[in-house]
Amino acid sequence: MKTIQWILLIGCVTLPAFAKVDLVTLPRRDSVQLTIYNSADLTLVREVRNLTVKKEANFLQFAWENTLIDPTSLQMLPKASADKVQILDLQFPARVRNLGLWSIESALDGLVPVEITYLTSGLSWRAFYMGTLSPDETKLQLAGFVRVQNNSGEDYENAQTRLVVGQVHLLDQIAQLAQRQYPYGSPVPLPRKPSGGVQVLSESTTEERLGREMVRDEGTVRLLFDRAAERPKQIVKEGMSEYFLYTIEGTETIENTWAKQLPSFGAADIPVESLYKYDPSRWGTETIGFLRFANDKDHKLGQTPIPDGEFRIFRDTGDKGHLSFVGRTSVKYVPVNEKIELNLGPARYVKVEPKLMDQKTDNYRFNNKGDIAGWDDIQTWKVTVNNTREIPIRVEIYRQTKTPDWTIENSGDFGNYEKEDATMLKYVVTLEPRSKKEFQYVLTNYQGTRREDFKREQK
Amino acid sequence: MRIKSKLMGTMVVVLMMTTAAQARIKLVALPERAATVIRLDNPAATLIEEERVLTLQKGLNKVDFSWKSVSIDADSIRLTVLDHPDKVNLLNVSYPPNEAALVWEISSDGDYAETVRISYLLSYIDRLITYKAVADKAETKVDLKSYLILRNFSGEDFAKARVMLDYGDAFEQGIAHEETKQLLFLQAPEVPVKKVWKWDAATLPWDPEKLDNKNVGVPVSYRILNDVKSKLGKFALWGGKARLFQDDGHNSTIFLGEDNAALVPVGEKMELYIGDSRDIVVTQRKMTDAQINLRKNNASQVVLFDTDEIITAKIENFKDSPAVLTMIQHIPGQWDMEKCSLKYTRKDAGTLEFEIEMAPRTEKGPSAQELTMHYHRRNVRP
Repeated sequence: MKTIQWILLIGCVTLPAFAKVDLVTLPRRDSVQLTIYNSADLTLVREVRNLTVKKEANFLQFAWENTLIDPTSLQMLPKASADKVQILDLQFPARVRNLGLWSIESALDGLVPVEITYLTSGLSWRAFYMGTLSPDETKLQLAGFVRVQNNSGEDYENAQTRLVVGQVHLLDQIAQLAQRQYPYGSPVPLPRKPSGGVQVLSESTTEERLGREMVRDEGTVRLLFDRAAERPKQIVKEGMSEYFLYTIEGTETIENTWAKQLPSFGAADIPVESLYKYDPSRWGTETIGFLRFANDKDHKLGQTPIPDGEFRIFRDTGDKGHLSFVGRTSVKYVPVNEKIELNLGPARYVKVEPKLMDQKTDNYRFNNKGDIAGWDDIQTWKVTVNNTREIPIRVEIYRQTKTPDWTIENSGDFGNYEKEDATMLKYVVTLEPRSKKEFQYVLTNYQGTRREDFKREQK
Repeated sequence: MRIKSKLMGTMVVVLMMTTAAQARIKLVALPERAATVIRLDNPAATLIEEERVLTLQKGLNKVDFSWKSVSIDADSIRLTVLDHPDKVNLLNVSYPPNEAALVWEISSDGDYAETVRISYLLSYIDRLITYKAVADKAETKVDLKSYLILRNFSGEDFAKARVMLDYGDAFEQGIAHEETKQLLFLQAPEVPVKKVWKWDAATLPWDPEKLDNKNVGVPVSYRILNDVKSKLGKFALWGGKARLFQDDGHNSTIFLGEDNAALVPVGEKMELYIGDSRDIVVTQRKMTDAQINLRKNNASQVVLFDTDEIITAKIENFKDSPAVLTMIQHIPGQWDMEKCSLKYTRKDAGTLEFEIEMAPRTEKGPSAQELTMHYHRRNVRP
């Protein structure tokens, strides 16, 4: 499919009559570059074409029927002879959709390379990952992939393809800008909708169109690697402002409605830690399993940030390379040197059980009227942590206090203990394979005027 | 003027004197529109000024001005006599019923081909401003371009008009009904720019770890000063959509983001929010939150107290370049700071601003700074 069309009109003088002017040349697309974003439906397209211009007035018609181009983003710049070729204006003629007309004033006859840039929607990419744990779950082999999808309505042949990781701020959705009747809208207020009756839409919305294309696209994932090449393509990675830019080696041809998958990185023997967390304020009574490592050199990573994407984790069963599926999880963007915690969901074989063993109140204070003004709430909790797995694990147990004024007395295997914030504590316990630990804590929460006493005692 | 089909601003000089009982007869001369000016200096309304030559006869003349398929603010229509202002007088204006029209009664002391200027506010013809800025790789300067977008949905074609903004030279431009034109009108290369990261405790989550797999983006903006040093400062920069790009060092650019620029008077700054940084991470926690110095009434009820609050914030830079984070903290009511580990400026009664310089990350990990604010809110009522 080829929906973007260029026509160079030379020597035409009366603009409204431009359609009567003879077609002089149809410049080819000499090169094209796609910079595709993943945080928004947005792609920056840069094309270079060679125009044959005549001295004085030239008009270049650019049409983009059935594509998702934002016309307000269209820009043309001469790549050579910039002092002799002047782009005067860009006109969106009346009553013609998806067509722009550039007025070009040239002081020379001949070939001028021009660069056209515009934003389009409909191209997207996403990252996803596959991890394979060693049988003892201490090492991870990780492979990252990117998948580029083209639903833009336009075929992009031999395009240099670049992928951008980062959160871009947009005021308008490009797909909506692409659908406007007038590129910059109209100051005329919209007529009121009729109060009844059926509204007939002459054009389908982007969503409908994309939906149809997605259906057509089912089962068309193709070309894991470039067939002509003997090795997978390299992806060059570099930081740029608040973004990360992945440039795929060579060029790619991504036809409309097709998708393409490419490997982005791979790392073996990443040391990982099996971590479990218990926090009723986030996950209720379930213990959640995590796989912890970091995007750094110690973990054989850390060259670039890791874009957000879905991780699928498998485990080598140790039996002739057979795999067992551990779980899948979405992971947010991970900067270099930041830790990664893959949430593998509720853990079946690690249990944390806090039990309230005793509760009492004490140290009552009364006011002048004889009403209660303060007291201590004393709770005794027993926490049992049971690791029924055959690997050593680390468990983080979060406990909430009733007030910000409290004291605690721990006993048993409570491991490390730290204050997370004014009303939250975290116990970190490590357990050997198939082992159990138990600890107890007595939490005293000071209420009412007892909080003052507590402050005084602290001083 | 292509009047016949567009039916706008038809003007007829009526020579025949009419009586109240007669239908108005509109015939004789159809004066051609001469110089036309489209004034776009007021964003709320567009003023059209057009000059026409009226063939006036000695005595009383009636000039009929009517319009169709366009929206003219009738009360805004003005007639100015240009050639013989002392000898040609506008006596009165009449409005025929149920018509988009008016009739000027003009007295003339001779036979003149008189040039008059008619001005009026015309709806649905306006302008937008857009900006395009390309930053260098180091993000210290931008090449700034601004475009004027002329939109004409007025119902009238303007084959040739002088377009005037509130600054700069007028230029000639034709624009047909339903046409939109994009014209470059400002080009300022190498305008200095400052990149700003801003974390506001009132609007951003405090603890990213509690957000189950969501990054907290720290808003990033570019700041441009509209002054002579910045190669600007000649006039106020109108508000409009600004798109920012960055030179990628490979003869290409990447798109950084877009924002709506507000009107920036000379000497003021334009701040453009381009996107969010996920490489600067702030984790803030309240470690102590207690009531102290309780004051009670006779019934031992607390009527006034102070607070003892400690807030800690860990700021980590995962970027391989330095950054200056502007951190905004809020403490409501009366308060005093007992101890603060970093320097701040008090922006107003309840707002503290920290400028935190962050080194780039190292091999060992992110560069980090710790903020501890120990403060007391005073005379708080329960």
